[in-house]
Amino acid sequence: MTASAFVFWVLATIVLGSAAVVVLSRSLINSAFALLATFAGVAGFYVLLGADFLAAVQFLVYVGGILILLVFGVMLTHRIQDLDLRAEARQLVPGLFVAAGVFALLTAVATRTPWAQGPGRELSATTADIGRAFLGKYLLPFEAASILLLVALIGAALIVRKREDA
Amino acid sequence: MNLEPGLAHYLVVSAALFALGLLGLITRRNAVQALMGVELMLNSANINLVAFNRFGTGGIDGQVFGTFVIVVAAAEVAVALALVLTLYRARRTPNLDAATSLRG
Amino acid sequence: MDALLESLARSLPEVIVCLGLLLVVVLDAAGGSARRAIPSLSILTLLLALGAAFRDGGAPVATWSGMLAADPLSTLLRSLVLLGALLVLLAFDLGRSRELKGLGLGEFHALVLAVTFACLLLAGANDLVMVYLALEMVSIPSYVLVAYLKRDPRSNEAALKYLLFGAASSGAMLYGLSFVYGLAGTTSIPGVSAALAGGLPAASTFGLWLSALLVFAGFGFKVAAVPFHFWCPDAYEGAPTPVAAFLSVVPKTAGFAVMLRFCYEALSLQRGGPLALVEIVDWPQVLMWISVATMTLGNVAALTQTNMKRLLAYSSIAHAGYVMMGVVAMSEDGGRGVLVYLFTYVLMNLGAFGVVAAIHGADGTFDLRDYAGLHRRQPLLALAMAVFLLSLMGLPPFVGFFGKFYVFAAVIAHGPEYYWYAAVGAVNAAVAAYYYFRVMRAMVVDVEAAETPAMAVGGREALALAALAAFNLLPTLAWGRVDEWTRAAMVLLPR
Repeated sequence: MTASAFVFWVLATIVLGSAAVVVLSRSLINSAFALLATFAGVAGFYVLLGADFLAAVQFLVYVGGILILLVFGVMLTHRIQDLDLRAEARQLVPGLFVAAGVFALLTAVATRTPWAQGPGRELSATTADIGRAFLGKYLLPFEAASILLLVALIGAALIVRKREDA
Repeated sequence: MNLEPGLAHYLVVSAALFALGLLGLITRRNAVQALMGVELMLNSANINLVAFNRFGTGGIDGQVFGTFVIVVAAAEVAVALALVLTLYRARRTPNLDAATSLRG
Repeated sequence: MDALLESLARSLPEVIVCLGLLLVVVLDAAGGSARRAIPSLSILTLLLALGAAFRDGGAPVATWSGMLAADPLSTLLRSLVLLGALLVLLAFDLGRSRELKGLGLGEFHALVLAVTFACLLLAGANDLVMVYLALEMVSIPSYVLVAYLKRDPRSNEAALKYLLFGAASSGAMLYGLSFVYGLAGTTSIPGVSAALAGGLPAASTFGLWLSALLVFAGFGFKVAAVPFHFWCPDAYEGAPTPVAAFLSVVPKTAGFAVMLRFCYEALSLQRGGPLALVEIVDWPQVLMWISVATMTLGNVAALTQTNMKRLLAYSSIAHAGYVMMGVVAMSEDGGRGVLVYLFTYVLMNLGAFGVVAAIHGADGTFDLRDYAGLHRRQPLLALAMAVFLLSLMGLPPFVGFFGKFYVFAAVIAHGPEYYWYAAVGAVNAAVAAYYYFRVMRAMVVDVEAAETPAMAVGGREALALAALAAFNLLPTLAWGRVDEWTRAAMVLLPR
């Protein structure tokens, strides 16, 4: 087993194990911290796949932004004094069956389908390529995404603002 | 069994991650935890995009797509948490089942 | 540089709406008297954009390095999106609305323009990246619009349910899109089409099937098709009425736009003649069952509603089922049916929502039982509502008839195997007629004369509703123009 194979299996264990904790844990705080491991593990996958820029973005936005927001959400929606941050599940058994079915279906597709054959991407720095793509081919989505962020900011502020302005 | 990670390995891990995310989404009563499930689903799709990019199509399109997905996820979570906080302020609970003033 | 300038020129409506949006945000932040200019500014923005969309008549090309398609189809769909948004801002007197009283309107206009901008992008989206991004750009401001009523906790709850549903279905769609990318090796829709036309190994059929199903989850959510419709009645009930009206027409139009392009371009082959299926992925079969379920469930659920917003929500679900008939027919006539239906649906549905808002403005009620005696209290309002309801039923000479006529004709033209499908649609139309008649009967029920003070309707609302009622009849007189317009639009991007 080569080093990269070893790293892959370690990462796969981390990602799936922590994702299972996220979903099954009864404690919200545990879920949030397990999610940290999942996001970090996925960033590790990106490194293995040669997507260095995306790995950095994953760390900065997911771990540094989205996860912090989610932890805020957990903290603010539970009184801190009762440490019992329980989260109940409903219909766990049918849910498990659905999830298992979806997994079987997706795995069958993933392993049997002859995916598009191409040259692949050799492991090389991607930042310059992505920068060029953003200001070239993907200029319109790049600009549109900035409008999306502006609108989401306005919207989130509007929703939580307590006082109504006359 | 081939231990060397190839495209199929990544796709299977991603399928498992998607299924776990779906499980969280449909079984969790807490809105924040349901959101965590959605994030797992988005991450699994991103693994697919990057893996296809690496092993199949080449170029950079898959990775750029993945970046946009992360941007969208950030915007969505910001709005979602604003809604959860407001729900909590009104009802003192982040649980979806307790939000029952609408006839289902 | 030239390519960029051409892209900008062909995307003039998008550019105008985007600039208008930014200006509204700046004016809202400036506060004071600047805010009073916002409603006029957003109406002006939409008018200018609509004018620009009408003027766009250049050759069909892919603009923005293939991200958008500037062709007659996208031009017509963009016009419909802008028309819907404009009519919402004109027909609803937001300043007089009981629901929105005391809530700032600056953000409201900014969010409406943001959704409209995203719908314009979706109408032309020609690349999977653009499809995903634009779909989310429609959804995220829509969640905020549903949550606009701060005093009413139902508004917030509805938005949260809407968001979780939307996030789940767009997550599923994204997974499907990633499979499409893996199968075709490209994200561009013409590229996907070319890759699939080149012939795939038989082993990939299953994967293509599953990808199509996952992608339909995202589209189905946007157009509120069964089984992705659960958010719809709650969101319409929780949202302010103008928002419900807006969501029921504008994003739905954009959702059908992207569905039409994806189905007719990526999943079909155009070998000069009629459309043919890619491989053996029989997506019309899937969409047909979704369509049957959608119209049946929508109509049956609408039968027992007493809240007018919920009734119109279920009715809008049912209409999505009829529109899908045009997509299922998989022909140019089917595509035209979709366009005609969407055009007529904008006029009749906004009218019905307008009357509901006017009655709420006067009496503060959405309950159908409180509509009794409307024919005495405000005969013209009752008459307008009757026009919109008859149009929604699909009776001639109202425009709603043409929408139904085109999609049914396209389905029947497809061949005998779809006769039963048309029959199901006809039975559904009859069921729908029942509950639309129920609303009409409620309006003409007599009540004690003492209980029937005349109802006050604002001048602007009255004018808008009269104009909308006229629009439900006038196009009939010049139907040839509309027919020609939609015929020209069904020319897809040349390959």
